[in-house]
Amino acid sequence: MEILWSIIILLVLGALLGLGLAIAAKVLHVKEDERIEEVAKRLPNYNCGSCGYAGCKGLAEAIIAGKEDNLRKCKPGKEDANFKPILEYLENHPNEDGSKVKAHI
Amino acid sequence: MQGLVTFVLAIISAMLVDNVVLSRFYGICPFLGVSKKTKSAIGMGVAVIFVIVLATIICWPLYQLLKLAHVEFLDTVAYILVIASLVQLVGLFIKKYSPTLYANLGIYLPLITTNCAVLGVAQGNTDQGYDFLTSLANGIGTSVGFFLIIVVFSCIRTRLESANTPKAFKGLPIALITAAIMAMAFMGLQGLFVQG
Repeated sequence: MEILWSIIILLVLGALLGLGLAIAAKVLHVKEDERIEEVAKRLPNYNCGSCGYAGCKGLAEAIIAGKEDNLRKCKPGKEDANFKPILEYLENHPNEDGSKVKAHI
Repeated sequence: MQGLVTFVLAIISAMLVDNVVLSRFYGICPFLGVSKKTKSAIGMGVAVIFVIVLATIICWPLYQLLKLAHVEFLDTVAYILVIASLVQLVGLFIKKYSPTLYANLGIYLPLITTNCAVLGVAQGNTDQGYDFLTSLANGIGTSVGFFLIIVVFSCIRTRLESANTPKAFKGLPIALITAAIMAMAFMGLQGLFVQG
């Protein structure tokens, strides 16, 4: 009986809190440059921080913002698996004013 | 009237006399991590007040529910669940309304989840068997106390930056010594309320 109640209570609690958070995430949504997400997706996503930024998303933000152009800062990244796809993506998705995001390997 | 006086006294007592940061060393991580700039210290303090007060309000009825189902042993797990969700909510909120503060707080914002002051209040309320109002007073007092200490500490640290500290003591070492002296100073408040 105890086990049953434990499971029910935690399930209900978790579902309620999750629902609340889902609604809050919708209401408090911040519009972000979708390219950040796309670049982050192409990074290794170890979140090792060896690039000097807070996780892969931090590096992606810096690349898109033009603060970082050396992809080699990402130590675990591989040329074929990560860097080339990112360069290709950036090539095809320029800034709003038409200029390219600068990045090199 | 009597109830109100007890309520206010309980807040002040939790805030000054039993200040969790200085008397029990709860929440030291953000206390040292986010106290370099007064502005981020204020942001951190407000976020912690929000999380602790709401967590107290939610956790008290939750514990009654757990007691009803005779599964009191789940209290810590359930509290962590509530606190983690609240921290996520605060994170979303700050990200939306103050991106600068979001960047300043950085990793310390999600770390409120593991801030032992928050869990300490919820768990302490349960262990002491407080009623709802006393729990609330304890929550408000503790969180405002945390706010007060982190803001005062950040002001001291800003001044320390420009002070002529020996090289070996620059940064965190002198901050820890300052915290120790503050703790000793707050010990003097111990006799503020005499049982009578």
